[in-house]
Amino acid sequence: MGKLYDELSKDIEIKHSMYACMDCGTCTALCAAAEFYDYSPREVMDIVQSRDDEKIKELISSNKIWYCGQCLSCKQRCPRGNNPGGVILALRRLSEKTGLFAESEKGRQQLIAKRLFGDNMLKRGYTLLATNPIPSHFPELGEDWEYYHEHIKEMREWWGVPMDLENSPGCHRMVPEKDMEELRAIYKATGAVDLMNKVEEGMAKKLGGKEEVEKFWQSYQDNVDSRLYKIKEKK
Amino acid sequence: MRREGKARVWEKHQKAIPSADEPGGNKWGFVRSCLLQAVAPFTEGIIHKVMTGKGNKGLGMDIRESAGHTSCGAIGFHGDVTMLETQMVVAARNFSMAHYDLGVDNFFCTCVTSFGNYCEIIELWEHEPELLEYTKKTLEETTGRKFWIPKVSGGRPSVVHASDVIYANIKKLAKKAEFSLDGVKATDHLGCHYSKIFPDESVGGGEFPRLLAGMIEAYGGELVDYPERRHCCGMGFRQCAIPENRGYTAACVYKKMKSLKKTDPDCKLMITNCPGCGVFLDAEQGTIAQVMGEKFDVHVMNYAQLAGLMLGYDPFKDCGFNVKYVPIEPLLDKIGMEYDKSKTQKERRRPFGP
Ligand code: SF4
Ligand code: SF4
Repeated sequence: MGKLYDELSKDIEIKHSMYACMDCGTCTALCAAAEFYDYSPREVMDIVQSRDDEKIKELISSNKIWYCGQCLSCKQRCPRGNNPGGVILALRRLSEKTGLFAESEKGRQQLIAKRLFGDNMLKRGYTLLATNPIPSHFPELGEDWEYYHEHIKEMREWWGVPMDLENSPGCHRMVPEKDMEELRAIYKATGAVDLMNKVEEGMAKKLGGKEEVEKFWQSYQDNVDSRLYKIKEKK
Repeated sequence: MRREGKARVWEKHQKAIPSADEPGGNKWGFVRSCLLQAVAPFTEGIIHKVMTGKGNKGLGMDIRESAGHTSCGAIGFHGDVTMLETQMVVAARNFSMAHYDLGVDNFFCTCVTSFGNYCEIIELWEHEPELLEYTKKTLEETTGRKFWIPKVSGGRPSVVHASDVIYANIKKLAKKAEFSLDGVKATDHLGCHYSKIFPDESVGGGEFPRLLAGMIEAYGGELVDYPERRHCCGMGFRQCAIPENRGYTAACVYKKMKSLKKTDPDCKLMITNCPGCGVFLDAEQGTIAQVMGEKFDVHVMNYAQLAGLMLGYDPFKDCGFNVKYVPIEPLLDKIGMEYDKSKTQKERRRPFGP
């Protein structure tokens, strides 16, 4: 048993997701991610169960933990009552806390997740905003989606779901500032703000400073593909 | 005897949801979905219309939300920017506001991922008294609010999803319906976070999913089963949200659509209850057509849009079929619903000029 395993086992999600895995592979057989990627929840469970810190370190530095789609189909079918998707959640948090997420291409995408879901939540009280799924990021939604975005306010009023109303119920309303303060206090007290900071810090360390992180972000914004940013080799 | 046994087994898979005629079933507190408001905002509109509409236009219910409630944040949880502790206190805050500020005892959410997350949290509170204490204490310290736990299903700590509320009233809705699915083949796609994380919290349990199937049949449709019916739509949080990962989403949709087409090529309607499924099962058909050159033309709509159509609400202004990849008109023709044929397909979708 090592330090990483000890840290991992403190996560509530692990306590409720990891009983004794019998390596049957049921989870891998039905896993959407296993079909699409070189990924196997059974293998993940096997590594965590081994309690081998070297193997855990390798796992949380790799793309693998980021392949899971969090459908939790595995939880429903595991004959031992395990929840591999829950174990993944704990592994991902450990990867973020140790900065190892920044070692893999899929891990570095956490900067995008943090600036999208996390920052949105702290700014507006929603993980996703009406202005996020812009046509350049969702070309498959087609021309009608472009039209909707060009007329976003009017279209929403026309559908009966006006946006950004103040001091009012409704979809995509402005959450009053005093409520936002409560939400931010919760995010701070429960460790979410720390976790998000770890993502920014881990990226700065890997890419060589905050400025590089902004370049990574800008490159993603401009190209809609985070892979086009090239990490400078350390001299 | 055999029948009795079957009835007993079936009973185990039922879920108690107060209907509008039962005590408390006419007054609900609810919370919004950030995924819906971002990718399918019209859904929030049609849910509201069907639940509150008077006479034959809806269930005439009193549904309330507080201006200060927030997203549950579960997209950020499954997108790895929050802790489970965060989720617990944010959930407790939303519950507390519903009960103490709005004066309601019943509570539903419009997002399936909120539903799964709330179920997980309630289970943890039930099993780990120290987490319950932690939540109460942190809620008080950060917001000054008092803790309240909803007990919506059968008097035990629980919440329900908006689609559960519709299902509980489905016979009534079907009676009010102006249109039917008579002669229409349809299948269902339940959100994974509705039916797989806590299968016992879904109508029909994990093995006999009835929620959407029951709606299809209540409106007179013919239910189609197919091998990949329970496969995930591939929304996948970071998988759909970050465009370079979206091949994952498209691959899942492709797998499902191929399986449906092979089983029954005449089944062109899929009913959903999760915000993500409703968007991606439709939109990725566009990607597949481009990349693989294969067309499926399966209409994907959620339970509220379906109820809206059946009650005779306008398919565009009320149900929001303006922004679907698969054009809705062939289905409208099938169910005999009129629409303005003097306009082009584009014009019908663009109320504010070209
Ligand atoms: S289904 Fe359960 S027991 Fe089987 S390999 Fe997966 S986690 Fe282990
Ligand atoms: S939650 Fe993750 S590991 Fe489990 S079946 Fe879904 S994609 Fe696979």
